[in-house]
Amino acid sequence: MSGEEEPKVGVFICHCGHNIGGTVDVESVAQNAAHYPNVVYSTDFMFMCSDAGQALIREKIEEKGLNRVVVASCSPRMHEPTFRRVVEEAGVNRYCFEQVNLREHVSWCHAREPKKATVKADDLVRMSTARASLLVPLEIKTVSIEPHALVLGGGVAGLRATVDIGSRGFNVTLVEKEANFGGYLRNLSVMYPNNENADDVIGRLVKEAESLEKVKMLTNSEIIDFEGHIGNFEAKIKNSKTGKTTKHNFGTVIVTTGFEPFEPEGYYCYGENPNIITLAEFEKIRKKGPLLRISDGKPPKNLLFIGCVGSREEDVKGHQHCSRYCCTAMTKAAADIQDECDEVILLYDDIRTFGRGHEEIHRMARTKHVVFSKFGEKKPKVIVKDDEIIVKWRDDLSCANMTYKPDMLVLTTGMVPPKTSEAVGKLFGLTRSGDGFYNEEHIKLAPLTTHTAGVMIAGAAQSAKDTTDSTTQASGAAVKAVSLMVRKTVEIESTVSVVDEALCSSCHTCVTACPYGAIAMGTTTDPPVAFVTEAKCHGCGTCAAGCPSGAIIMHHSTDEQIMTMLEALLQLSTLQGSEG
Amino acid sequence: MTVAGDKIDYSAMNPTETALVIGGGVAGMQAALDIADQNYQVVLVEKTPSVGGVMAMLDKTFPTLDCSACILTPRLSEVSRHPNIKLLTYSEVTEITGEAGDFRVKVLKKARKVLEDKCSGCGDCVPHCPIQVKNEFDQGLGYRKAIYIGFPQSTPLIYTVDTDNCIKCELCVKSCERDAIDLTMEDEEIEIPVGAIIIATGYELFDVSKYRRLGYGRFKNVINALEYERLINASGPTGGNLMRLSDGKIPKSIGFVQCVGARDVKEGVPYCSRVCCMYGVKNAVMAKELQHENVKDVTVYYADIRAYGKGFEEFYQMSKKRFGIKFIRGRVAEINEDSKTGDVFISAENTETSELLEQKHELVVLCPGILPPRDLKELADKVGLNVGPDGFIAIEHPASNPVDTNIPGVYVAGCAESAKDIPDSVAAGSAAAMRASITLSKGGAS
Amino acid sequence: MKSGKFEPNIVAFTCNWCSYGSADLAGISRIQHPPNAKVIRLMCSGRVDPVMVIESFKNGADGVMVTGCHIGDCHYSTGNYRTKVRFSALQKAMKVMGLHPDRLKLLWASASEGQQWAEGIIEMTSRIREIGPNPINGGGLVK
Ligand SMILES: Cc1cc2nc3c(=O)[nH]c(=O)nc-3n(C[C@H](O)[C@H](O)[C@H](O)COP(=O)(O)OP(=O)(O)OC[C@H]3O[C@@H](n4cnc5c(N)ncnc54)[C@H](O)[C@@H]3O)c2cc1C
Ligand SMILES: Cc1cc2nc3c(=O)[nH]c(=O)nc-3n(C[C@H](O)[C@H](O)[C@H](O)COP(=O)(O)OP(=O)(O)OC[C@H]3O[C@@H](n4cnc5c(N)ncnc54)[C@H](O)[C@@H]3O)c2cc1C
Ligand code: SF4
Ligand code: SF4
Ligand code: SF4
Ligand code: FES
Repeated sequence: MSGEEEPKVGVFICHCGHNIGGTVDVESVAQNAAHYPNVVYSTDFMFMCSDAGQALIREKIEEKGLNRVVVASCSPRMHEPTFRRVVEEAGVNRYCFEQVNLREHVSWCHAREPKKATVKADDLVRMSTARASLLVPLEIKTVSIEPHALVLGGGVAGLRATVDIGSRGFNVTLVEKEANFGGYLRNLSVMYPNNENADDVIGRLVKEAESLEKVKMLTNSEIIDFEGHIGNFEAKIKNSKTGKTTKHNFGTVIVTTGFEPFEPEGYYCYGENPNIITLAEFEKIRKKGPLLRISDGKPPKNLLFIGCVGSREEDVKGHQHCSRYCCTAMTKAAADIQDECDEVILLYDDIRTFGRGHEEIHRMARTKHVVFSKFGEKKPKVIVKDDEIIVKWRDDLSCANMTYKPDMLVLTTGMVPPKTSEAVGKLFGLTRSGDGFYNEEHIKLAPLTTHTAGVMIAGAAQSAKDTTDSTTQASGAAVKAVSLMVRKTVEIESTVSVVDEALCSSCHTCVTACPYGAIAMGTTTDPPVAFVTEAKCHGCGTCAAGCPSGAIIMHHSTDEQIMTMLEALLQLSTLQGSEG
Repeated sequence: MTVAGDKIDYSAMNPTETALVIGGGVAGMQAALDIADQNYQVVLVEKTPSVGGVMAMLDKTFPTLDCSACILTPRLSEVSRHPNIKLLTYSEVTEITGEAGDFRVKVLKKARKVLEDKCSGCGDCVPHCPIQVKNEFDQGLGYRKAIYIGFPQSTPLIYTVDTDNCIKCELCVKSCERDAIDLTMEDEEIEIPVGAIIIATGYELFDVSKYRRLGYGRFKNVINALEYERLINASGPTGGNLMRLSDGKIPKSIGFVQCVGARDVKEGVPYCSRVCCMYGVKNAVMAKELQHENVKDVTVYYADIRAYGKGFEEFYQMSKKRFGIKFIRGRVAEINEDSKTGDVFISAENTETSELLEQKHELVVLCPGILPPRDLKELADKVGLNVGPDGFIAIEHPASNPVDTNIPGVYVAGCAESAKDIPDSVAAGSAAAMRASITLSKGGAS
Repeated sequence: MKSGKFEPNIVAFTCNWCSYGSADLAGISRIQHPPNAKVIRLMCSGRVDPVMVIESFKNGADGVMVTGCHIGDCHYSTGNYRTKVRFSALQKAMKVMGLHPDRLKLLWASASEGQQWAEGIIEMTSRIREIGPNPINGGGLVK
């Protein structure tokens, strides 16, 4: 198929059940579309992404000789790959496909204005059919995958991923910034759900990793620079001890940089009395030996735990989330320490012992007579008076006001992203969710891959979670890396920019505009004209927007392709207005 | 489109290049894809006529309210199209012998009575069939014929004749232009050599009629959560119109009862089912979302709201703030019906105020807990797998080896290991694929 | 559209990453906002050539929004620094064209900020309603 061919556009409008069809008059949108320039076929269908919907597209491409396809359905962030594949199966180049977002951008957010939503749907479809007419097929390019994976962060998740990739027979380098592997588990003693020793867990994985020929493990190391694209990344690794920097090439990356326990400054008098500690500190002490009061070294007779400290705070950014491990960890800690104390009280909002075996720990704690008291909306109050810790709260279930003076107060804080997470995120092009953890490609069906092709996330780096859930993700992320390395090559986007030499006025604007240094001035002509190194170009189009001579063609996002959408939107609307 | 199963010579498959995945829910499908992407072969055995599992039945999914079908459908076609995946739907594993790297699996391929390579899924046969029965996929709320697909996105898109209900009138046979229907077809047993096995058989729901006091089965307007999912689903029995089963009215007030058959030692379900809180909140939000003008009151009765995952707490807060969902902490003691109006009364104690409540709702949705599938133990025994006291597949080292079973070469994914939501099931599917492919690459246990 | 009642027509040039994500999230979270803004999806806000904005107004757009990732969060690391610079230049050009400066709006929103997206659209739409139709359009200067 050539670009010069007369465009024959097919338009397919999806009901998406009643997700779109319930608000937008899908049939009329499809009927109107039939009259737009170059449209030779237009229809509506219940689920365009279903097998039947996909078959319909393929069938019509063949029957009507379509060479441009517009599907108006959900967000392209979800199904653009699906539909691109479908048109390609029917012989249409993937870049001749255009998707209109009628769901996220129309029906879901204008649900109460069906008429106006339908007008907007018409506008958007008109714009996209106009653009579709100007789309041109682009060559599909592939890149090779360097058979070497980088795992960043040597906690339990990083170790798990490293062992899996190494066992599968691929090269893998594990980079840990601390002197030891194991991450947070190095601070834990006996873990839920099955009382396994944290050292045994780490020991088992480290031993296995060390036994594997293809595994390289670096401690005291950090990535200071990271460049490239899927299949061919280049990382600079710096050893903080020796100060030496080395360069390495990797085909894929797994980021397992974990979390930090939240330091509850400003909460419940933390820091005002040495016997007020966090659960993290409690675990550290227990790992070394028996629990003793920090102030006088005596064993505490009674303890009080407070849950959700700095978590689930509705309007506090970075503290809205639930940390998914703390309820169970706190409940287990309370149950264990009950054996050594007279009384253990646990204050909570909800007890979220949701995982396998967790509710059983909750029940065991209650059987051991750990006192559970729900504080609900109103958080407890802690007062430090002389050497005493006084806790006051309202027990939601008995509706009584309570006061208690524990020998020690344990604050159960949640997980927050490590301080370096923003910088590390930038290095790998990862976006972060409201709570600061890294975003996955799709929250349900692609929880391990990210929007940066070739870069995976796993463990607490993706969101707060316990060890089992972290290692599960780690093995899962490992398989994504392995699949790429097994296949050896992968297709990449062809949406890069090129310079039209005849138009270039040698102004250097683009050279400075490009965030990736992908443009340089040639040496073969006089005056020199700019040229783009395709492998470096990420396709942002910043250069094209800046070029004063219109010399840069941004493939798949040309000036004409954008302008035609504008015209399609505005000219017809004016027309509509005058029709009145 | 996958070519019909019977064209492939399964017995000639190379065990060190082939994995078996049992169960085609979202976890099993993910596992199959991640192994197949490594250029290994996968045989995916699914008991029902279509892959998809429970996720295919769901309407929206928490915490972002994506519609389940929208995100699942491409996955279904990916599985059916993958050159390295052989789909054996309407099939069950009957025997497993051997060891890692060299298992022999016997699969019973039930007679579908429709030729897989001929049926185009056109559905022309359906109007001709005189037999109408309740559709299991719609939780018995809608109807299907004796020749049927459970749902429009059924994958593979091949019809199935339900032998139990078919009267052999042969009207369908005559109606099919492609001569795809063969009522004489018989069950078939296939033997497949495989190197690694993944158990992804998912879960079953607790039978809420066991709590007689909650009125399920006695009162029409007390339904379970999966029935509710089908009721609000556009391709469900009511075309997505939320209505009461007694009189077709839009319920103005809906009560959701959490933890029905979960965290209850007496009923043999001591554990938490992990997803019910969130699907309860989701379905409460959906009532408002779909019928914000009609549904005035939505109340959730709960013990603890376990909004544990990424974005869950935020979603829970949003349900209160933006959608005005009411939450009452307290176990429901009893549900009664006003036989004239069909309205239902919930008696509960609000444990936060110690008040005894009697609340009228026009519809009550019971949110059942999750159980291991009935035949999981039987399947486990075939391979010698341990199951835990909760009935799910046991894991020896949950911290370091969360998908490894006691048998080398056999892994577990998704809810077969314990209740999980979709992202955790998907991650577990990938993890099991990782472990299984290591076994394959080594030709057995190392 | 019915005559008499003014419905602002707004063009939103939106980058494919954070800001398109925020628009999607507004939809996913069902945050209702007026349907007056129509998104043109570009890979980066840095792709927005000032000429495109000027052409929008010439063609009769009542308002133009340029939306992107927060400064520092651009998927292409520094693309939106350019956007910022070009935007300031455009604001000056508004005067020259005789257009109310509020017809042009820059919105940064991250993929987790559906609310910000919706609020941005709500604000912009009601502001344009106050200012009224594009005078160039009204003056019949449409190409
Ligand atoms: C008090 C407490 C009690 C707990 N109890 C339990 C329990 O009983 N059972 C259970 O299952 N879970 C428990 N957990 C949870 C458990 O600790 C986590 O699930 C687990 O540590 C997550 O593993 P990870 O590898 O993802 O992250 P981490 O353990 O945080 O490991 C991350 C690693 O990455 C390294 N790193 C970070 N940034 C970089 C960088 N830029 N470059 C190089 N390396 C980097 C870190 O140094 C660290 O080694 C508990 C947590 C706490 C806080
Ligand atoms: C009412 C309700 C609402 C929910 N809502 C959400 C939600 O909004 N978001 C979310 O994340 N999660 C939700 N969930 C949870 C979600 O359903 C599960 O996470 C998911 O379905 C688990 O997938 P799975 O593959 O492990 O199991 P399943 O979906 O159960 O799939 C198992 C498959 O294996 C097959 N099978 C079983 N036994 C055999 C056998 N012996 N041989 C061959 N095949 C067999 C079954 O037929 C089935 O196809 C909800 C659950 C319920 C009950
Ligand atoms: S499109 Fe972006 S990355 Fe490519 S050359 Fe232009 S400015 Fe550089
Ligand atoms: S059996 Fe025949 S009539 Fe029925 S769906 Fe298949 S091809 Fe169509
Ligand atoms: S033969 Fe069976 S399936 Fe076919 S039409 Fe008759 S009853 Fe229905
Ligand atoms: S990608 Fe969003 S502004 Fe550059």
